[in-house]
Amino acid sequence: MKVLITGGASGLGAAFASTCAARGNTVHVIDIAPTAQGFAHDMGSADPAAWDALVQWLAANGPFDLVILSAGISATGRFEAIPLSDHHAVTSVNLTGPVRLVHMLDTGDHLNAGARLVFVASLSCFTGYPGAASYAASKDGLAGFARSLRGPMRKRGVKVQLACPGPMDTPHASRYAPEGSSAKGRLAPDRAAQAILNARRFTIIPGAGPKLAAFLGRLAPQIMTRLMGRVLFSKLK
Amino acid sequence: MTWFVTGASSGLGLEMVRLLVARGAVVRATGRRAPDQLPADFPDCPYLPCDLSDPRAVAELADWATGQGRVQAAVLNAGAGYFRPLARETPEDIARVLAINLEANITLAHRLRPALAGGRLGLVGSVAQKGAAGMPVYAASKAALDGFGRALAEEWRGAVTVRVLHPGPVATGMATRAGRTPDFADRLFLPPRRTAAALLHALEARRGADRQTVSFLRVGLHRLGGRTV
Repeated sequence: MKVLITGGASGLGAAFASTCAARGNTVHVIDIAPTAQGFAHDMGSADPAAWDALVQWLAANGPFDLVILSAGISATGRFEAIPLSDHHAVTSVNLTGPVRLVHMLDTGDHLNAGARLVFVASLSCFTGYPGAASYAASKDGLAGFARSLRGPMRKRGVKVQLACPGPMDTPHASRYAPEGSSAKGRLAPDRAAQAILNARRFTIIPGAGPKLAAFLGRLAPQIMTRLMGRVLFSKLK
Repeated sequence: MTWFVTGASSGLGLEMVRLLVARGAVVRATGRRAPDQLPADFPDCPYLPCDLSDPRAVAELADWATGQGRVQAAVLNAGAGYFRPLARETPEDIARVLAINLEANITLAHRLRPALAGGRLGLVGSVAQKGAAGMPVYAASKAALDGFGRALAEEWRGAVTVRVLHPGPVATGMATRAGRTPDFADRLFLPPRRTAAALLHALEARRGADRQTVSFLRVGLHRLGGRTV
């Protein structure tokens, strides 16, 4: 089985890569700072040449049986205190890039029949994320994209899934969490990767705590977002 | 105290500007059409054409919008999109739709924030935000706008009232221009003028959820004279 993972050099992406490799899959990684076998590409790139190079690489290494769109960055703090360039980097890397890559996979026929396409969004899709407005936007956008593609892709034999992990014990999480917050209760990326890989449902929420948060967020979306504002945003200020 | 409305050269934006000017509000409007391309009966208000996919033009637009100081309410209504499957999209159009529907609004919200103090910010989304097989890129952009507004409404609570308003299908011709073949369903689409009135009401109402769907039920009740739903 041939696997493609974006953001596969660190954090959850690296956990996907090692889990898939341990299961005997051939793993291909795209990352801004790839390990030895990976392909160097910035998902937020606006340079047509960089995307042309990616097309070539996909043609040489595909088609794939499993594609995991895991690359992501964030920008936390008060929305207006974060430079606009940071907000745009977030939406480019987390949303525009993945949409462009999936468009390439689709038009270039780089997905095998029976393939899986896994979008890594965030628990924020259910809770809201004050203090990371552009990040929340990008992840909700990814969720809207996955929900739209689900039916058309199923007709072609491609299974689309939406993973919404909560806080994990990754460099990404510690970079963007409020200062002094503890890593306790954050999910280990290996466990999240396994839960996502083993899941058959469309929406995947690894871990019992995040599942509960998502349930409450569905039940009372605005109350949940206000709660996020209290426990998270107030600490970021 | 000024209103600022984007996407005002046609559709819902044009109807909102008509309603606002008719009631005597001071409005600054923008749209993609050049001034000489506007309808002959375009309301009497300052208008600046702007290509929202051009970041520099968006920055200039924000300066223009805040030129008279405070902005009482900004309605970020402009949207672009195509009714077509992903395989028939192009990289340029993907980037353009996301730039107009999401990034331009992030930029405008960021730059308008000081002028908006005590005012209101309306983000016009779409019911397609829940996922739409026929227009995946548009749906993604509107879902993103929803997540953006959801976070911003909480961050700005008490300082600026932020509401994301998702209209249902409106008979503005956008769907047809976007590549949808007109069929019997078009006759069921929402009337633009009444939808615009319901949107303005939803934005101005003292109380209301951060994210609201303004579709058949809301537009119908608004027409019947119901103030709030």
